[in-house]
Amino acid sequence: MQSLTGAAKSERSVIPASSTVPLESQPRERFGQVCRHPMVTTPLSFAGFLLLWWALAAWTASPIQLPSPPAVFAALWDLAQDGELLENVSVSFERLLISMAAATVLALPLGFAMGMSARVNAYVDPLVEMLRPISGIAWIPLALFIFGIGGTLPVFIMAYVAFFPILLNTVAGVRGADRKLLDAARTMGVPQSRIIRLVVLPGALPTIMVGVRIAFAGAWSAIIAAELIGSPSGLGFAIEWYRELLMSPSVFAYIIAVSVVGYACDLLLRLVRRRLAPWAPA
Amino acid sequence: MGASMSGAVQLDRPEPRWADPARAMALPLLLLVLWQLWAMTLPDITRAPSPVRVAATFAQLTASGDLPMSLLLSLGRVGGGFVVALTLGIVLGIAMGTNRAIRAAIEPIVESFRPVAPMAMLPIAILWLGTGTPTSVSIVGYAAFFPLLLNTMHGVSQVDGKLLQAARTMGVPGFRILRKVVLPASLPSILLGARLAMGVAWTAIIAAELAVGAKAGGGGSGGIGAMMFIFYAYSIDLNGIVVCMIVIGLVALAIDRLFRLAERNLMPWKQQ
Repeated sequence: MQSLTGAAKSERSVIPASSTVPLESQPRERFGQVCRHPMVTTPLSFAGFLLLWWALAAWTASPIQLPSPPAVFAALWDLAQDGELLENVSVSFERLLISMAAATVLALPLGFAMGMSARVNAYVDPLVEMLRPISGIAWIPLALFIFGIGGTLPVFIMAYVAFFPILLNTVAGVRGADRKLLDAARTMGVPQSRIIRLVVLPGALPTIMVGVRIAFAGAWSAIIAAELIGSPSGLGFAIEWYRELLMSPSVFAYIIAVSVVGYACDLLLRLVRRRLAPWAPA
Repeated sequence: MGASMSGAVQLDRPEPRWADPARAMALPLLLLVLWQLWAMTLPDITRAPSPVRVAATFAQLTASGDLPMSLLLSLGRVGGGFVVALTLGIVLGIAMGTNRAIRAAIEPIVESFRPVAPMAMLPIAILWLGTGTPTSVSIVGYAAFFPLLLNTMHGVSQVDGKLLQAARTMGVPGFRILRKVVLPASLPSILLGARLAMGVAWTAIIAAELAVGAKAGGGGSGGIGAMMFIFYAYSIDLNGIVVCMIVIGLVALAIDRLFRLAERNLMPWKQQ
């Protein structure tokens, strides 16, 4: 068995970087560290994956079931060239923004109310816990009935999915506010609205941002299902559309787009969290 | 640490306890009564659901055996996909948690697949496996794989280094260390991963059955998601849709509670 990462880390920190280490082993050590750096291993990992994919595609020899990487990247290039990719990405992204905004606007005030008042919480929390197990996906048939096929359905489903993590993390963040700070502010006669803005909000912000990140992950997963079933546009629609046309390279190209956009958004949210709440632990 | 966050990029909330049941039931009951009153103002031939009609539909669907059969089919698929994900996720998670080279090789691939929703893989699954049970099972497996893998990996990499060194110093063979030290120490993470995985698996099966019903036509693949789609597209029975939604919610709740119970029973040393 190889050394566990936890053990390896503590071992290394124990060894002092002293002159007792033989000189000739130093370059090798440095070389090993360079090899272990993510800047080296990540491209290697992707290269290995692509090779494996290529070999598998060659072995399957069915361009419809498993197109080869060059075919997929050619399709991706074509879709990007004629603007279709950008159009579908921006349609999905716009829906994502609208639904995240709607969920935040609804969840933040309710979360503050629930976090600060035990009575509000006693009344509202049971309803939240009753609705939460019903996944956003399960609302699709009913929402199809109410909104029809179009742009409203994905927005509704995503807003529903994003609502709960933001709400629950806001409640947790507000409850976690430092009691001593609150008491101090109250003792000094700071008005309630200022306490919320200057004491509770900064304390709760890191937790709320975690909620926003979880909400985004859920929404980004739900949008594919919602668009695939009930929308004539967007990424989810495009994937299924090219499946029906048996244009597999385009299906794979759109899946790559889903991955890239989703990953970029998550990175962005982490960055925003660090900018908005630099005092939070990483 | 990034790993803990990304490992549990899912909400984990303790079981709610409500001190005052009267308060707890006030708002849900009020909404239920308002819903019923609103439905009674509509003309008799309306398709709009109402609590009374939903209850009647539930009784009828249960008595006819349609609902239990669909539910059983869906749960069977979830179970199948979950077992596959459990095996792969734990084996790969231990490998990635204990060996840095393996982790460096696989993690970028895992991270690039993680933002890809299970539903985005559905078209590929349909191309490969058709529109039957294997497709649903593979979608469930895909969805459940990530929480299991990431939580196992996180748990294994957090095992106390001193315990490992102690075991190694005393000459315990590698496989025994794995079984006696690594697994018990990472069990809390693995079980948390299993609970989260089961939650997303249950969502994924509904999505897969819905989409297969919608896109492959006919809705012949069965399951509770397909049943919902038939209510939507063919028999236009909104009461039936609401019954399915409630059942889906109840099953999700039951799954969550069962796994929490297992966590308490399997890890008595974790009792707070």
